[in-house]
Amino acid sequence: MTGIGYRKDFAEELLQSEILKPSFIEVAPENWIGVGGYWKKQFQKALEQYPLFTHGLSLSIGSPDELDYDFLYKVKSFLKETSSAVYSEHLSYSKCDNAHLYDLLPVPFTADAVKHVAERIKIVQDMLERKIAIEIVSYYSPVAPELSETEFITTILEEADCELLLDVNNVYVNGFNHQYDAKSFIDRLPLERVSYIHMAGHEKVSDTLIIDTHGEAIIDPVYDLFEYTIKRINRDVPVLLERDFNIPEMEELQSEIDRLNNIKQSALKKIDHVFI
Amino acid sequence: MSLSETTKAYQSDLAAYCRTGTLPAIPGIRQDNITHYRRLVYNIVDDMLENAYPLTYGLLSAKEWKTIANEFFCNHPCQNPQVWSMPKEFYEYLVKSRHSLLIKYPFLQDLLWFEWIELELFMMEDKKAEYTTNGDILFSRLVLNPEYQLLSFKYPVHHKNARYITITDQSDYFAAAHRNKEGSVVFTDLSPALVRIIEYLAEGPLSVKELFEKFQTEYSIQLDNEGQRAIIRFVETAYQQQLIIGFKN
Ligand SMILES: [Fe+2]
Repeated sequence: MTGIGYRKDFAEELLQSEILKPSFIEVAPENWIGVGGYWKKQFQKALEQYPLFTHGLSLSIGSPDELDYDFLYKVKSFLKETSSAVYSEHLSYSKCDNAHLYDLLPVPFTADAVKHVAERIKIVQDMLERKIAIEIVSYYSPVAPELSETEFITTILEEADCELLLDVNNVYVNGFNHQYDAKSFIDRLPLERVSYIHMAGHEKVSDTLIIDTHGEAIIDPVYDLFEYTIKRINRDVPVLLERDFNIPEMEELQSEIDRLNNIKQSALKKIDHVFI
Repeated sequence: MSLSETTKAYQSDLAAYCRTGTLPAIPGIRQDNITHYRRLVYNIVDDMLENAYPLTYGLLSAKEWKTIANEFFCNHPCQNPQVWSMPKEFYEYLVKSRHSLLIKYPFLQDLLWFEWIELELFMMEDKKAEYTTNGDILFSRLVLNPEYQLLSFKYPVHHKNARYITITDQSDYFAAAHRNKEGSVVFTDLSPALVRIIEYLAEGPLSVKELFEKFQTEYSIQLDNEGQRAIIRFVETAYQQQLIIGFKN
């Protein structure tokens, strides 16, 4: 199954369109907690038609600041009210020194940060009474690294015993920006923990830098990496198409969803065949 | 906490850089790329502010806008985890810091509040009220729409293009803003007497007759026909506009 990030730009089409047919929708709880009026009504109608996955932005799991328990409680109520199937967050920080930055900053790849982040994921999982999926974010510069990126990520996942949201585009972007091989990076991840996959487009701003914009169509090398990933995971995992800006015609979005479904199905079929 | 002081300091340095533009030495960072973080973070904040305050954005010069947006983000630690609500902190920051732009544009505080209230009412959580649509506007008890806010301004920011507001426009202006069933925010001009009528209804449903009585008792006056008709006209319009949403029998 392949879902789409719920955007106000196509909220209406999602309810009526014969063209756009995702299997589920995804929202950031912080964009909907405490919201009423017109958009709440539209969102409610969407919830009647589609299962909901959630992907948080502001929990700031990698922050030196204390966790915001009031906010976490609101998230918990939101997940309950909307019967959300998944709650995921980013392996990054967006709040520091008591100030929200509303974007995802990279956490230093250090052993103490591993401990810190893993403890916090465990607390969040306990409070929410569910496992959460943590996403590897795209980043544009390392910050005081002591460990390799994979060592940093795999140890956190293991210590926290949480799930992995594998954003294939982010791995591609990071491989390009930091000159490593995306496929061997994926090989080193604990793929048994992958519970959710993100796919998106990006923008190449220079010969050495890609910015993860979610504002373009997915490019072929990222589809290739997706196929590779599915074959390595070797089981059906929900996939999300993220398109936040520069929204194209619905046909184009659906063709991306179709392509993702087809790649996944044929990748899994081939594996079946081999094993049978 | 497991986080070392060193790691904490590097995280703090990067976050502070995004807010202020001052980058201390952090080991391992790529100078050329790190600038994108400040650009991306600033763009998010600037976009949210522009969307929340389109009239203010149109009024100020590009330089003035850039300066206050930057200054706000640099000096003020944003508290709300929900980014759509952050622009309220921008208003509060400017008022609290008695910002010089509020002196240059004496109506700016009113304008910002007017813009914020429109957004806040549009977005705010649904409020329940008990009412029926079966009733008589002149005889039944009237139920006020709970999704409303009373406003008072020194300048007519809700009427007049801000560019044409001058010091001579200064007066006492009252208005109600409410969200109708379609979700749109509607502003209604009020006289001070009509503000009291809304405040009475905010305490609980009252009939037109009870409104007259309450008003007369409070002000120790006898409403003449013209006064009564003005209240009735207001109640009828408020019902059409859904500022009064129904009846309680
Ligand atoms: Fe993602």
